[in-house]
Amino acid sequence: MGSINNLGGVLLRYLFSALIIVALVLPASADYKEIFEKEFLNQPWGGEMLAESACIECHSSETMDADLQKIPQEWKTSWHFQNNVSCHDCHGGDPSDAGMSMSHQRGFTGSPKYAEVPDFCGKCHIGILSNYLQSGHGKALLFSGTGPNCVTCHGSHNIQKANIDIIYGRRCTQCHSYERAKVIKQALFLTETKMQAIEDNLRKLKADGVILSEEEKTLFRTQAEFRTLFHTVDVSLVNESTDKFAKILTQLEEEIKATFDELRFRRNFSAFLSLLFIVIGVVLSILSKTYKD
Amino acid sequence: MCKKIINGINARIGLDDLIENRLKRYRITKGTNIFYTLGIVAFFAYMLQAVSGYFLVMYYVPHTEYAFSSTQVIINTVPFGWLVRMVHIVASNLMLIVLFMHLVSIFIMGSYKKPREITWIAGGLLILVTLAFCLSGYLLPWSQRSYWATTIATNIPTAFPVVGDLIANILRGGDNVTAITLNRFFALHVAFLPPLFLFIVGLHMFMVWRIGLSTTPFGEHAGEKEAWPESKRADYKSSDPFIKSSYPFFPNFVLKEAFMISVFLAITFFIISFFPTIFLPEAANTPADPLRTPAHIKPEWYFLAPYQMLKLIPNKFFGISIQIILVGIFLFWPFIDLKKERNILKRPVLLSFIILLLVVWAVLTIWGGYS
Repeated sequence: MGSINNLGGVLLRYLFSALIIVALVLPASADYKEIFEKEFLNQPWGGEMLAESACIECHSSETMDADLQKIPQEWKTSWHFQNNVSCHDCHGGDPSDAGMSMSHQRGFTGSPKYAEVPDFCGKCHIGILSNYLQSGHGKALLFSGTGPNCVTCHGSHNIQKANIDIIYGRRCTQCHSYERAKVIKQALFLTETKMQAIEDNLRKLKADGVILSEEEKTLFRTQAEFRTLFHTVDVSLVNESTDKFAKILTQLEEEIKATFDELRFRRNFSAFLSLLFIVIGVVLSILSKTYKD
Repeated sequence: MCKKIINGINARIGLDDLIENRLKRYRITKGTNIFYTLGIVAFFAYMLQAVSGYFLVMYYVPHTEYAFSSTQVIINTVPFGWLVRMVHIVASNLMLIVLFMHLVSIFIMGSYKKPREITWIAGGLLILVTLAFCLSGYLLPWSQRSYWATTIATNIPTAFPVVGDLIANILRGGDNVTAITLNRFFALHVAFLPPLFLFIVGLHMFMVWRIGLSTTPFGEHAGEKEAWPESKRADYKSSDPFIKSSYPFFPNFVLKEAFMISVFLAITFFIISFFPTIFLPEAANTPADPLRTPAHIKPEWYFLAPYQMLKLIPNKFFGISIQIILVGIFLFWPFIDLKKERNILKRPVLLSFIILLLVVWAVLTIWGGYS
């Protein structure tokens, strides 16, 4: 017994001595927050992927022109950023090598001229480019060099996910009357509203832990196809295709409804189990009172 | 038929004798409150984890390409897979709360004192093993949250000079959290930790059984002159003072335990039903993306206090050293607190210390959650 008591005393002494030694050997520094962030959050453990690209580094530096300096910030709020589309995906170059980042040998193309913008964006948005070039918008740009290009409606670095609200009076009336734009907006309205509702429901399901990957892909395909079609700015074409899209979207709605029903079943089933164990608990409690201590 | 089977078993293993001498004659002191059942509730929660984990392993694929999607298959395709997974997640969190309550109640009732030092140390080791279970299991769904929380956790050992990087690299199997880390954590979670846990829990329960439950230091049944070990219990006489102030383990105490297990299950299913996302924020439903660091990386709620403490202590080696020393003090506390008085109300310094500790823990947890 005595030895156990001694062991306790010895342990206590060792533990506190160690604490004091550590406290003395490693004096506190005031900038702990910076140290923590530097050593814990920005260490290479995240991999070289976390390293900022040469583009971001230069464009964020103090020496950069104010207009060019705000580009990284704009991009970070964009839909492109959310989908892993980085500077070099559009502008080319090599973001991993500061010295050669803007070298033409590494595919750097720089900023396109006004008339080159559709081809610049069309590298990825192929279907949209083809429909745009057939439209009045595209033809105007092609023949006069002054028609609206992608940036006119969507912006550039702070590009956001497109929706029907992109068509509005002030924007369209820069070039023509709003009447024509209004007609096409009405043609788009039902399908767009449906797609938006489906997207919201898929998001709600995702928040509940149910990810409907196939349905997400179908919606994405349908949205892309529908919006591609819109770039023709051809009301009759949009109206003709609406039935086809409506059929796909109705099927998606049914699948989503079935999933919500399934979630309701899950909630009710676990609520039933909860109630069952409450009842069992009450029975056990009453039973335990029948036994005398 | 049924009676024949029972008689057959009785003739071979002496069932009547087991029930009579090992269950009914096993006495529990009066004054044992509901907190005395928390140990068995925690043990039940462990078993629930083992059973639900077994079913999850049937469908889970420990590969970075399939880990997240196989989890989705469990939730959406496997019949009642959602229930098994939710039970695994919710019960694991509730289990930690039960363990924490068990620990605090044991501390407050001074039940760690002689002759229960080994029981305390085994219990302390069980908590550490449980946290290792949580850490290793956390990565397995390969979600954005699990990936980045593990990235932070496995970076912590790098605070140690000389061996720090080596420990971190052994944990991760490289500089980053990768497919190798996933395999290591999976092996740890399903193959290494369970037998270790069973060994320690076996020791813990054997000690509880052998020495008997402690008495409460409060109220009319307070006090325990000496423990009532199994050897004494085997040949007790009804005139023994201990017997006068005790009642049978079976069925009286077992019913109390069964009641508490029902409460535990009722709460588990209540949470699954009405708060299914409480332990599953959105980042837990997004596949891991090593290319994108989330804006706010936080560990799980039970690691928030040590995490916040690390953030506040100026030097990270110092911070981690303090935490290791605190764990050491916690494990060997029965050898440090040698006073015989078990009633914490008569020990104002110790009472203030535990209240301060709990308040600091709560503040650090909340602070960590919101910082």
